[in-house]
Amino acid sequence: MKAVLIVEDDPDIQSLIATIFSMDPRFSVAGLAETAEEALALARKTNLEIIVLDDRLAGALTGVEAVPALKEAAPGAKIILFTAHADLRARAVGQPDIDAFLLKTDTGELLPLAQQLTNMLSLL
Amino acid sequence: MGASAVTGTEVAGAEVASAEVRSTEVRSTDAVGGRGEAEAANYAKALVNILSDVDDEQRRQSQSQRAILNILEDLDTEKDRLESTQKALINMLDDLEAERRKVDSTNIELHEVNEAMQSFIATAAHDLRSPLASMVGFSSLLTKNWASLSEEKRLKFVTTIDRQTHKLTWLVNDLLTLSSIEGGALNTQPELVVVAEAIAQCLAAGNRNPAEVSISCSPELVVRVDPMHLSRMIDNYLQNAFKYGEPPVRIEATRLGATVEIRVVDHGPGVPPEFEPKLFAKFARADTPNARDQKGTGLGLSIVRGLAEANKGQASYERGTPRGSCFIVQLPVDERAQS
Repeated sequence: MKAVLIVEDDPDIQSLIATIFSMDPRFSVAGLAETAEEALALARKTNLEIIVLDDRLAGALTGVEAVPALKEAAPGAKIILFTAHADLRARAVGQPDIDAFLLKTDTGELLPLAQQLTNMLSLL
Repeated sequence: MGASAVTGTEVAGAEVASAEVRSTEVRSTDAVGGRGEAEAANYAKALVNILSDVDDEQRRQSQSQRAILNILEDLDTEKDRLESTQKALINMLDDLEAERRKVDSTNIELHEVNEAMQSFIATAAHDLRSPLASMVGFSSLLTKNWASLSEEKRLKFVTTIDRQTHKLTWLVNDLLTLSSIEGGALNTQPELVVVAEAIAQCLAAGNRNPAEVSISCSPELVVRVDPMHLSRMIDNYLQNAFKYGEPPVRIEATRLGATVEIRVVDHGPGVPPEFEPKLFAKFARADTPNARDQKGTGLGLSIVRGLAEANKGQASYERGTPRGSCFIVQLPVDERAQS
């Protein structure tokens, strides 16, 4: 099973993402974080394959700001920037450590996207 | 005839003339005397001519002098005209410079307005998408997995959809209200309102426990305001006090000159001083633990200010002592009611 870390400070959205992944036997929710700082701590001690990352978080760091540190903590993980800020798409394209961008309203795309990214991972 | 006036005919007949000269030698002395007179006359004539020439020259010089003086006068006039034109040009340049500064200043203002508008649209889009994401996501899960989901899960998902629907409704209503205020399309219907009654109705409509809010308001205070707007302003302030402040919450209304001042006071941590200038701006949320925990639209205080101004009043904030917040709305008293 592929380990997923969910970094999201809205409890309803966090619960939604966790439910989506927990209903697919190929994935397991390895951790839930409300801040980038919590996410970094979890990323250092868990072997992650997917990080679903919101930008606007409860802590001092935004999701995008935390991306380089997350990638360093979990170099094998694919990062999906999952946000309601459509204008972050351009920044995601310019940031090589972000592997995919998805708007929060496109929740139906989340699972296929994670599967696609992890398949790419296993091919390497 | 003058000595120099000798023609060819006279030369040809020189011998005849010579004989005549010899025969008339006696008269030659007289002839010499006549030539002198003639020469004198010639000299006099020449002198007269010269004097006349000098006179003419003097006249010409005088005319030239007058012409030069005229030219100098013209030059002087032209110089004045050029100076005047130069002054006019300098004034025009000053005006143009002032206009340029105004245009620069307007450009800066427009740039700021544009940035604020873009930021507003980005935040509004984000805040609209967030509840939609939950609604779409959970409704999709329910639709696809209805049979396999437990009753408990179904209820949980539906409850979340319901909560997010309400959140979205508040946000859309707030955005529409704000849009009406800013677009000058707000329908304001002022009437005489007894402040104490409006506060009591507002607490009842918001299902507030009367024990949670103390009121200090004379029953005689009357303001001229749209009653729906007054209710919304008090309710927004109360919501703010309960979300970000701490009890006890108190509403005080007092007469202050030509206005009635309504103050909603709480005893929470107060607004960080650096955030105070932005307090009434759209989507303003202080970066404090209390504010981060709340999921308001960030439009409540902005709406209060807009409604207060639409009713010829104003909204403001005062820091509590030693802590807490005081949100104020001042509304005009009805002069006819007071007289």
